[in-house]
Amino acid sequence: MIGNNIEITVLEVKGEQIKIGISAPKNIPVYRKELYVQIQEANRETVSSLDMESLKQLL
Amino acid sequence: MVAETKFFGTIDIEEEKIIEFPMGIIGFENLRKFALIYDSEREERSKISWLQSMEEPLMVLPVINPIDIVEEYSPIIEDELTKSIGDPADADIVIFVTMSIPSDLTKMTANLKAPIIINTVNRKAMQVIAENQDYMIKYNVYDAIERLKKAGE
Repeated sequence: MIGNNIEITVLEVKGEQIKIGISAPKNIPVYRKELYVQIQEANRETVSSLDMESLKQLL
Repeated sequence: MVAETKFFGTIDIEEEKIIEFPMGIIGFENLRKFALIYDSEREERSKISWLQSMEEPLMVLPVINPIDIVEEYSPIIEDELTKSIGDPADADIVIFVTMSIPSDLTKMTANLKAPIIINTVNRKAMQVIAENQDYMIKYNVYDAIERLKKAGE
């Protein structure tokens, strides 16, 4: 259990793979890590890639 | 509230105009207070606005109303998720998508996968990941923006 409302269960162990179930209240976002990391990267890139010169052409 | 910004110098935003992200923005979870800035010096208001952190001058995200760049935008989001921003009714929600604007404008993209949702009633907001499989994180918007510019001229 994580906190008092998030429960992690091992659903299945098959060779080197394990299947995990996460049961959490629906107001807590549960995202696949690779997707979350992609969004993180996209946000950081959005912030760092800003180029004032190109913005001037755009605005 | 007074804040330093990356592009707009020092700004003074009325307290009631500040947008609070109770969980931050993905990748910037520690930043909670933002202001939505428009370029008002121009007669024709630009379609792009700026989500500027009130706490970190360098944190500024260009955002746009998705309807300006795609014909239809209906992200699938678990209803319960928006409880943390006060469970807004659909009519009280404003949606923006973030844009990535590199120096080569033809590579400009918008993130359709992770929209910013603002509850206009209490000014709380969050970034969510839409369940739509076909929504891209880097959707090229150069053509759409060019069309907008031409329409505005």
